[in-house]
Amino acid sequence: MTSMEEQVKLLVALQDLDLMMKEVNDVDTSSEMKQMGFKLDGMAELHKARANLAKRIRPQLLNRYERLSKSYGRAVVPVTSNLCLGCFVTLPTSYPSLKLKDSFLTCQNCGRILYFP
Amino acid sequence: MKPHELAEFFHESLCIFDLTATNKHGALTEMVSCIGEKLQFKDKDLLLEMLINRESLGSTAIGKGVAFPHGRSLAIQELTVLFARSTAGIDFDALDSKPTHLFFLIIAPPQDRDNLYLQVLGHLVELIKSAALRKKLMEVTSFSELQETLASA
Repeated sequence: MTSMEEQVKLLVALQDLDLMMKEVNDVDTSSEMKQMGFKLDGMAELHKARANLAKRIRPQLLNRYERLSKSYGRAVVPVTSNLCLGCFVTLPTSYPSLKLKDSFLTCQNCGRILYFP
Repeated sequence: MKPHELAEFFHESLCIFDLTATNKHGALTEMVSCIGEKLQFKDKDLLLEMLINRESLGSTAIGKGVAFPHGRSLAIQELTVLFARSTAGIDFDALDSKPTHLFFLIIAPPQDRDNLYLQVLGHLVELIKSAALRKKLMEVTSFSELQETLASA
């Protein structure tokens, strides 16, 4: 089993993939892309990649990701300048150091999973 | 968006005038490595994974020797544009099956709410339809020449 840091990274990859699929499913975005000349006919490949990625994520963490995604759209959000870019609440400066071994950090205000780019 | 505004998205450190890669995966890796060296972020493999997934959706090489690898990733914090060129040409699964010489890699964070990356992508796709511009871009030898060429397109 990979470390929790690695697991959060897998969640970021999963979310990048989900966002890509969401854009393809968005009529306006996909028609704009098609007008530019891009072909978007490999959705089956993306579903396969998603299934393979999801298999590598701990079930509890994956469930949490799916739950948060339903509520917020994006379950994982970056932190820049101590700011949660999900809800824009300032996090304590000591926040990254509070992370316990084999755990991940969530925003104390919105509960989204935090990613430190 | 005017051509000179578009030219401002390019940076000297994010230009590769002679890609050494000889295949698609190698080219993406080389471009992502360049971004990883110049920008401060830790997970460049996330960018590569996203770009590979994007290519599996459909090649971003739309023909006439040009490709636009693009997408969004949480790993990056601001819209990033990279120019790369391969004189020999690379098999990038182009729609016209011809080798790809010019690459415009565009990556944006998910929180790019104004969809700036789609605007940049759309304008570049439009500009690059000009055969004269493509020819000039194959000949530029410096970043200032690249910027001038794009700004005056």
